[in-house]
Amino acid sequence: MKITGEIVRIFPKDTNTDEIISGKYKYDELDLNKLAQHTFEAIDRHFYEDCRKLDQPIIVAGANFGCGSSREQAPQVLKACGISCIIAESFARIFYRNGFNIGMPLIECDSITKSVSQGEALMVDFGVGTITNINRRQEHHFKTIPPFMQQLLQRGGLMPYLETCGDYSD
Amino acid sequence: MKTISEKILSKRSGKDVESGDIVAVPVDLVFAHDGTLPLAIQQLGDHPVKYPDKVAAICDHASPSPSEKVSNVQIFMRHFARKYGLEFFENGDGICHQIVFERYAAPYKVIIGGDSHTCTHGAVGAFATGMGSTDVAAIMAYGKTWLKVPETIKVELLGQLNEKVHSKDVFLDLISQITADGATYKALEFAGEGIRHLSVESRATLSNMAIEAGAKVGLCPADAKVKEYLAQHKRDAEYLPLYADRAAAYAREVQIRAETVVPMIAKPHRVDNVVPVTDLEGEEIDQVCLGSCTNGRIEDLRVAAGILDGKQSKTRLVVYPASRSVLIQAVREGIMETLLRAGAAIGPPGCGFCIGRTVALGDGEVALSTQNRNFKGRMGNDNAYIYLCSPSTAAASAITGKITDPREHNG
Ligand code: SF4
Repeated sequence: MKITGEIVRIFPKDTNTDEIISGKYKYDELDLNKLAQHTFEAIDRHFYEDCRKLDQPIIVAGANFGCGSSREQAPQVLKACGISCIIAESFARIFYRNGFNIGMPLIECDSITKSVSQGEALMVDFGVGTITNINRRQEHHFKTIPPFMQQLLQRGGLMPYLETCGDYSD
Repeated sequence: MKTISEKILSKRSGKDVESGDIVAVPVDLVFAHDGTLPLAIQQLGDHPVKYPDKVAAICDHASPSPSEKVSNVQIFMRHFARKYGLEFFENGDGICHQIVFERYAAPYKVIIGGDSHTCTHGAVGAFATGMGSTDVAAIMAYGKTWLKVPETIKVELLGQLNEKVHSKDVFLDLISQITADGATYKALEFAGEGIRHLSVESRATLSNMAIEAGAKVGLCPADAKVKEYLAQHKRDAEYLPLYADRAAAYAREVQIRAETVVPMIAKPHRVDNVVPVTDLEGEEIDQVCLGSCTNGRIEDLRVAAGILDGKQSKTRLVVYPASRSVLIQAVREGIMETLLRAGAAIGPPGCGFCIGRTVALGDGEVALSTQNRNFKGRMGNDNAYIYLCSPSTAAASAITGKITDPREHNG
């Protein structure tokens, strides 16, 4: 699996689920596409529109991206914004799991924030574990995702995976 | 040679697993509440619930409902529960974790909750962890889940705690050492003489807070005290002994000398921003909160009532028992009368003040609470300050209206 896209934003270390989608909307709005319009609202007013302008927007972030509550609305709204992949120095555990479950590819790559800029194009190759910065002609390596989790992504998430496989294939 | 996590997941997956392996395991109980079940129901779509007797739905977060929108969400949950004949816990039955702890948690069980503090059930040797709504939906549909067997940090508590020092103080001490992401992706395993001396309820406080250090689970050995706890709840048959092997492999080992632990407090707005209570003595507070899935059990109320007996609270004192059965027991023991006479406002069993959905703080107010999180805005106001402490510290501070070391109080 490969994804080529443009970096829409670079977020700092410890970006939390409250910043991604405020808890105040959580109990009241059950439509994820409507909820997505509030993504990063408190810290980045133009995030939603900027994502909509790009074909395959990519987020790059520092360590511990998605920390805080277990709210799955956080990766869900990013997906609804059209984010194709998130590359962070590390992820909070529940966010990481929720990402794969909804078919959102997450990659952990050390000190990635130091060598990329917003607007640059990246090509991610999941099979070999490389990120190619097309503008700078640089290559970064990451530890490939375990086969089971790659299967989740290929099927589009946990529910579609289970539907096609009928159960966990172990 | 295995850790507790490796033992449970080997047994339940039917394979010999070690940390790093990914396994599919049957789930003994999956539960979610009014904040997480609605999205899980949406994710489930047309799939039927496979094992309705292994699913529980609980109204505890915004409960009793404070608004018409929340009331409508609760109707959506009730319809779903009725359709599949799921066990449904109503407003006032209690906090999801306390209900599950009293009725379902047992050694070797795999328990998944749509709430980050599901790790509470590690106190009786269950592999219990919080997940998102899609996971909850997938478990409802298939009865199984996938897990990565975690590496383990062993926390050994040596010796015995002094009077008026609690497991809450031990955890705050621990998190000040390992920090809020010190156990990310890992299991915390509590061991040692100090743990043997703790009641099962006190262990639940430790396990409950494991997530605050980023841990997946917070496990304690299932010893004679767990056996006794299950017997008290008429679940003798669910007991199985469970201990880590002596030569199990750990990612890290931390030792804490129980006698050196003193009353601790976490300052705003981070759980790992911890100092001894003595450093803050005399600071004014507006509200003392007793309750939550961390410290709302009968022994916590007993401790607080012991200190408040015959005294008056100088601050607002808000008490939410963790469950209906905790409240019934507290009424029987006269604890409720003691707290009421001391000036407490008693709320219905549930999350109450903990997330500020039904009780909120005002601008600039300072709360001293026995809960587990003090994030900005946690109690419903971005301009309020939350300090975390044990039930003893909370009760002693209510009497003076200031942050107070409980060891200075007789009673
Ligand atoms: S008491 Fe607080 S921490 Fe516990 S489940 Fe309720 S809201 Fe969450």
